[in-house]
This record gives sequence, structure tokens and C-alpha cells, in this order.
Amino acid sequence: MSALPLASPRPLRSPDSRPRPYLEVAPTRAQRRARPRLVPAIVTIAGIGVILLGQLLMSIAVADGAYRISELQSQQRSLEHQQQALTENLEVLSSTQNLTANAENLGMVASGNPVFLDLSTGAVTGNPTAAGGSLTGSAGNQIGNSLLTGTSLVSATTSTPATTSAPSANFAPASRPAAAKPTSAATTAGSSGGSASGSTAPAPSGPATSGSIPSPTTH
Amino acid sequence: MNHSRGTRRRLALTVVAVFAIVGIFVVKLVDIQVVRASELAAAAESRREISVTTYGTRGSIVDANGVVLADSVERFDITASPRDIGETTRMTVDGARTEVPTSEVLAKVAELTGAVPADLSTSIDAALVVNPDSDFAYLVKHVTLAQFQAVTALDIPWLYSELHPSRSYPSGATAGNLVGFNGTDGPLAGTEYQQNSCLAATNGSSTYERSEDGVRLPGSTVVSEQPVDGGTIHLTIDSDLNWFTQQALATQGQAVGADWGTAMVVRVSTGEIVAAADWPSIDPNNLNSVSAADSGARSFTAPFEPGSIMKPVAFAALLDQGLITPSTQVVVPSAYKQGLPAGTSITDVWSHGDLRLTATGILMNSSNIGTVLLSEKLTEQQKHDYFTAFGFGTQTAVGFLGEEPGTVQSAASIDSISLRTQMFGQGITVTSAQMLGLYQTLGNGGVRLPLTLVSGCEHSDGSWTDVPVETGTRVVSEYAANTTLQMMETVASQGALRNVISIPGYRIAAKTGTAEVAANGGYGADRIVSLAGVFPADHPEYAMVVTFAKPDTIKSSAAAAPAYHAIMEQVIKTFRVTPSTEPAPSLPLTW
Repeated sequence: MSALPLASPRPLRSPDSRPRPYLEVAPTRAQRRARPRLVPAIVTIAGIGVILLGQLLMSIAVADGAYRISELQSQQRSLEHQQQALTENLEVLSSTQNLTANAENLGMVASGNPVFLDLSTGAVTGNPTAAGGSLTGSAGNQIGNSLLTGTSLVSATTSTPATTSAPSANFAPASRPAAAKPTSAATTAGSSGGSASGSTAPAPSGPATSGSIPSPTTH
Repeated sequence: MNHSRGTRRRLALTVVAVFAIVGIFVVKLVDIQVVRASELAAAAESRREISVTTYGTRGSIVDANGVVLADSVERFDITASPRDIGETTRMTVDGARTEVPTSEVLAKVAELTGAVPADLSTSIDAALVVNPDSDFAYLVKHVTLAQFQAVTALDIPWLYSELHPSRSYPSGATAGNLVGFNGTDGPLAGTEYQQNSCLAATNGSSTYERSEDGVRLPGSTVVSEQPVDGGTIHLTIDSDLNWFTQQALATQGQAVGADWGTAMVVRVSTGEIVAAADWPSIDPNNLNSVSAADSGARSFTAPFEPGSIMKPVAFAALLDQGLITPSTQVVVPSAYKQGLPAGTSITDVWSHGDLRLTATGILMNSSNIGTVLLSEKLTEQQKHDYFTAFGFGTQTAVGFLGEEPGTVQSAASIDSISLRTQMFGQGITVTSAQMLGLYQTLGNGGVRLPLTLVSGCEHSDGSWTDVPVETGTRVVSEYAANTTLQMMETVASQGALRNVISIPGYRIAAKTGTAEVAANGGYGADRIVSLAGVFPADHPEYAMVVTFAKPDTIKSSAAAAPAYHAIMEQVIKTFRVTPSTEPAPSLPLTW
């Protein structure tokens, strides 16, 4: 037997002889970059917050706009009503019957025959006649207009507002005697070319649309 | 081990519970989303969605200068909810809100709207009788904006309103017969009816979703059909002139005690009717202003035997055929019997022996015998053809509602008396409008233009339709037309009415007419008197006809003369008609 020492196993390293060094897989650069970061996270969340807030504000604005539209539409409707009513009044006041009655009340007379001046020859044609007479004649206006019932005539005097009102649709002549005096006064004032008192008439006191405008709400 | 078993049991229970809950949810989800989906969606829609009718505005009727004769206006119907009306009602008067008896409220509403207070409570009671739970009744209809505002200001809780589009006629009876009127359910007469297809508006609708307080939801689908406003009818008349014409007609009509009258003026170069007056004339705002018989336009709808204003047809035809000249010499006997049944004769208005008159003299003196004698040169067919060519026997191009064609008897069927009397306007019936067409033709050198009353329909988009096409037809030669006018001038310059109808500086061609009115199979004492003519005769611009039916005090054309003169003078002023430049030719009346 040889005295070779028996091959003996290597002495086991004592496991606790030395502390095992701490090992870790080093992240690659890409891995490092992919690691969540605080700043982007905050930015993202804040961004979402801003977007949501923006959307909320926009919704509020749109809803507010809807109310505004509704309100303006209502206002438009009432203004249209008012415009219609005023147009209606204007059309009635511009009727021939009303204009004729007022013109005669103010002392205006029908024009005479027209006379023509031919510019190329300088010749005057036509037989001039003095203006005068009533357009409606002595019988007064015969062409009724029931819309004028209660409409007052414009007076020629500046001091007193028009009080002469047509009691019937026909502007019966009985309604005009009160206007006879101011009529002649206005005529003389006009012919003498003097005082302006007779020439300025007060604004027509027609039926005015007063009061508030209706503002119906939609239901 | 016990611990572990307990855990598993709890886990199992939880899983079962979760599955059960999810199962219930799934069933409910399927029920809502699939089974009852459409039903629920519709219910939801109907809660949010509202459909609103948007009204188009009916078009207006305007005259040649744009003066509005008929316009759409807004009126309001005041309605109430009868079931909500108690014994007392809160009402705001002069800023103070007080609780007052309901009867007082109704009285206040009636006072503000001009209604009868009793009518208000009657309509509320009537609604409650029909249905004790009624929530709708009309209180006052057709109130104006001002009245509506006053009522709204009272702030009565059970009071509601509806918009009620209505119609207003600002010019009243001026051209009222032409304009016509609307009833509650639509147009009833005149241009309103005749031109309804142009005037009528198309209503639109708008559907949208709304929130509880009535505001349209932003972003909700809006289905809307725009309303289309009606078109504007433009008439050819001048409303101021029409008023004056009606005024002159009414004044003179009353003075002579006539039943009715018509007056029309036409621009001869275009055929546009610039004035068409009827007396009596309806005020379309007040349908009770005249009787039903007077509510139409007799100028188009009332044919009558015109009498001597028809004579220019005979003279123009004879001149056109070259059968006479203004100075053709005729011996006019005291009566005409040739070709007539025994016992009948044609005479003149005044008795006379043999007269030596020229053709002009016959027209100036309005001799029936002379006219019939001259007309013998025309054949029966020629007479008929000239009448129809001048537009008699057919409606005018105006085509007014209810317009009559009148009667021209055919050459084959006409009797021997009418064959002759039609030459002086008896045995033939015409309307004022047709008569106007005759004088328009004579004033326009023998070319007849279609008469127009409507110059077109202007749609809301600005386009025009129904514009009349003016194609003239020659009836007689220019020579014949102008010579007839010259012969007619003697009526205004030398006739009995010369002092009434003449206007210094203007040459006027006119013809008088006094027609007997047929009644009970014969001719009685009633007359239809007329004056028709063209002026200025040397450069004709306007033709006109004035007619009065059955005057009491003056039974001749002298009854129509003052109105004729006044209207003619007003036409000259309105349209600045220049005076005549050449003197009238001197035509001999006798020989």
C-alpha cells in the first residue's frame, strides 16, 4: 500500500468563512432608461387633470351659451313682435285717409293744375291755376278705414296737443270744426312768411305701443 | 384543517354571490338594452325632445309704389286653464301683487282687451261643463300686442297665450274690393283669394332636445325645416289715385242717388290699370261695412248694357274698313225702321226731323239712327268680329275673381233688333273692365294690350313670377284709332258736357253713354250712365271709364261728368301728364 495519502477531498470551504459578496444584475442602459420617473408621471397626471378641467370648463361655457342663446332668441322674438306692431301702426298712419285728414286739418289745400317747363326750348306749357280747395270735398272722406278709429289728428298749434279724434271710421266732418281755427292761422302765418309758430307741428300722437315687451319663455 | 375548510366555504359563497349579482345585472342589462331598448329610448326622447312649428308669414299685397294694402300682423289669443281657476286669483296691478276674487280678474282682462266680461266667464264655464278637468279654453281672441302686454303684466297664473297670425288692411276701403279679404280659415275674396298660391306661406318645424327649464341642450340634434314666407303681390294701381277715384265716385254717386258706380283708369301704352274704383267699397278690416252684394268688384263682375259709350266700336270698325271718313255725309231721319219687325223703330234721345250730319256729327250728337245707318255697311259677321276683337264677350286678361265675360251674340243667332242696337250698346253686355279695354285700344293706336292688375309675385328669395307678358293684338289700323279719337274730341269740345269735362290745355277724347236698363223683359225708367274717354287726345296716355247705375236725380251722362272731370284732373296731377301741343283738327259736324 502506498503511503500515498489517500486522495482526500478538498477541504470544503467553510460556507460561513467569508461573507458572500452581494451580486446583482446590472441593468442595461435601456433598462435604466425605462425605469419610471417622477417628473414625467407628474406631468402626465397633471396633463390629464388639465384636459379634464378644460373639458369641464368648455361644457360649462357651452351650457352657458345655450342659456344665452335661449335668452337672446326670446329677446329677438319679443323685438320682432314689437317691430311688427310698430310697422302695423306705421302702415295705418301712412294710409291715404289718415294723411289726407291730417293734411287738411293742418290747412293744406289741393294743388292746382301742373305747369311744365320744357328745358330744351324754355317754353312753359299748361294752364296754371291757384292751389285751393279740399281734396276730399265738402262731404269729407267717404272711403272708410276702420283701423283709424280713435286715431287723433295732428294739430297745427304747438301749444295744445291733438285732441280732435275721429269718432267714426269715416272722419266725419263733424270732427273737424275744432281744427278750423288753427287751420286759418297756419295759412296766414305761412303766407306772411313770418312766425314759425304755425309751421311746426307736434309729433303725431298715434297709438303708441307702451309697456314692457312680452318675453315668453319656451316650455 | 377546520380553518382551511371555513375559508374555502366562504370563498365559494362569495363566488356564488358575485356570480348571482353579475347574473342579475346581465339580465337587467339585456332587458334594458335589448328587450325594452326602443321603448325606453322613445320615452326618454319624448321627455327631452320638443317639436315646434315655425310659422312663415303670409305675403303682403302692395300697390305700384310699394304702399302696403294687405299685410300680415300678429295677434294673440288669450287662453286659460279652467281647472286651475279658483275662487280667488293672485294678480299684479300697478306693481302690487294681491289676491282678488276671480271675477275681478276676468273683468280686468276684459277691460284691457275690450272684451265683454260675461263672455269670459261663459267660455270658462262651457269648458268645465264639457270636461271638469279641462285645462284649455279661449278667453279672448285676436288681441293686439299692446293689449297682450297689458294682460301679461297682470301675471295671472292660469292665463296662457297663443300667437295668432292675422291680416290687416292698412288702407281700409281704398282698393278694398280689389284686395279682397281673409276669413279665419283662409282667403275668401279678391286678390287675397285669386293670388293665394303666391301669398301663402309654408310653415316649417323645428325639433330639438331641451332641458327641464326649456333650454335647448347643447349638441343635441336639431331637425329643422325652415318656414318659407309668402310672396308679395304687386298691383299696378296707385293707391292714392285709387282713393281719390273712389272718393270722387262716392261723392258723385251719393249726389245723384245712384245704386253703385265704377271708375277705372288704364295706362294705354302698357295696359296697366292704375285705378279701379268701386262704390260702395268694402273695408276689408270690417266685413260688415257694406252689404255682401257690394263686397266684390263690380268693375269686373257686373256686366251691363253700356249704351252709347259703345259707339266708337262702330266708327273705328267703319274707318278701319275704309267705309267712312269723319266727314261722310248722312241724312239722319227721325226714326229708323228698316229691317226691323213691324211696330218697332229706333229713335234718338231727342226728336228731330231729317238731319244733315257728318259721321263726326253723328258721334258728337250720339245719334242712334245715324250710327245704325252707317253700320249697315258692315256685315253681321264683321260686327261680331270687331266686338270680340275689342275684347267683348271674353274675360279680360286680369282674370279677376268672379270676372264675367259679358255677352256678344253670335252673327248666326242674333235677332234683327239686337243686330242694330248693339252698335249703340244695347242688346250687348260688357263689364267696366272690358269697356276700359276698348278705350285703351283706341288710345294705343288700335293695338289692344292685355289689361293687367297684378304686375307680378315677388317671392321671399327675391325672384319674380307671374309677370304678365304684354303682347298686343292689332284690332283696327292706327289711322282708324286716331281718327276715332279726333271725332270723339268734338264731344268734349262741343258737346253738351264741354263745360264740365274740359280741362284747359288738354285735348280730351270722350264719349257719353246713357243706357236703358233691362228689367222684367223690357226697358224701364232706370238708366246706367257713363263717360269714357282717352286723354290727351294728341298723345294718348290714359284711358278711363266712369259709370253710375240707376241714378235718381240726373238720368243722363251728365251725372257722371263731375266725377269724370275730377278723376281726369287728378290723373294729370299724379302722373304729370303734359298738355297737348297741337290744336285739334276742325271736323265739320253738319253739311
